[in-house]
Amino acid sequence: MAFSKKIYTTALLFVILAAASSVFSQGVDSVTDPPSQRGIPIDLNTGVSFEVSPHTGLMGSSGIFGLRLSMNYSSFNLELAGEQVLGKTANLYPISVNAVLNLATRGRLIPYGAVGVGLWLTVPTNTIGDETVSTIGLNFGGGARYYISRSFGFRVEGKQYITSVSSDRELKSELLFFQEVSVGVTFMFR
Amino acid sequence: MKRGRISVVIAGVLMLWVFLGSSASAQFRYQNSLSLSTGAYAASGFGTNLYGGVRYGYFFYGGRYFFEASLGFSNLKSRVLENVSKTQLFETERLFAYEFVVAYDYNPSGAIPFLVFGVAGVNQGGTSVFAGVLGLGKHIPIPGFLGTNQLGIRYDIRDQIFSQTINNSDPFISHNIVFSIGVQFYF
Repeated sequence: MAFSKKIYTTALLFVILAAASSVFSQGVDSVTDPPSQRGIPIDLNTGVSFEVSPHTGLMGSSGIFGLRLSMNYSSFNLELAGEQVLGKTANLYPISVNAVLNLATRGRLIPYGAVGVGLWLTVPTNTIGDETVSTIGLNFGGGARYYISRSFGFRVEGKQYITSVSSDRELKSELLFFQEVSVGVTFMFR
Repeated sequence: MKRGRISVVIAGVLMLWVFLGSSASAQFRYQNSLSLSTGAYAASGFGTNLYGGVRYGYFFYGGRYFFEASLGFSNLKSRVLENVSKTQLFETERLFAYEFVVAYDYNPSGAIPFLVFGVAGVNQGGTSVFAGVLGLGKHIPIPGFLGTNQLGIRYDIRDQIFSQTINNSDPFISHNIVFSIGVQFYF
């Protein structure tokens, strides 16, 4: 009895919400994207523009979240990127400064190549006694941005990360390679 | 008998949803939104607790698609764990989740719900995991409310799906269910 009451209450709630969505939305006008943003491609030659690009993806088999802040000027783009890589025993926080070469400066699709350097912070999550380890890392790769308006677009990127980890016990260092694939969106400001 | 009643109710809800959706004709006029939400967060294997969150949305293609970033907070309090097993699995009971999702809204001004999919970082008791997100919900603009056309309400239900390991157990798939309802400001 109690179970059916819960089901009826839930169903009633959804019916009310569904009805509300129809009734209240009747008065909103039909408007699409602003005319100033229809059919006009991006032109990076018209001055400096800034972009904020949240993204997600995979580094190896670990999920990532990140944010890129960048400044465009024609073919050149300077970028500051921070990420969180969620590993099983540790989280990795690569922070890097990247130089990006835009392979096109006009149009909706802008492919690019990138190279950068940064600091990697490895923070153990469930290992007692381990401390945060910081290393210097390099990265290079490429990707593309596709703009659906002058202020918004999508972004895909593939990168190779290289870092060196030294072991105090064995008195030697080891090069580590990681591949990253990411997708995200980008917001452009002028 | 009980199953029959439930089927009738579900069928009725779906029919109403489709009917009401076909009777609406408006669309979103704004490109951005900010919303504050509250609701319930059911952490898999733990209790269901109060949820609060803030969301930013960016609408494109006439509101048929939108990108949304959100940050939500809840906790891992569980009466069963506290009173029966008397165990503490995490250092803290805090829980927060950040999501990035893309949504498809077949009829932004109608009653058919939008579908969302994306990813989330779920931090349970200090440990972060990467999760996939599936869900559905609705934005409901309320023109004229408080003298503006920029306010509305929204509700949705989402499933955060992730692989979890607790106390060196074998990995298992968890489903954290989030229901939230809130106010939305369009700009």
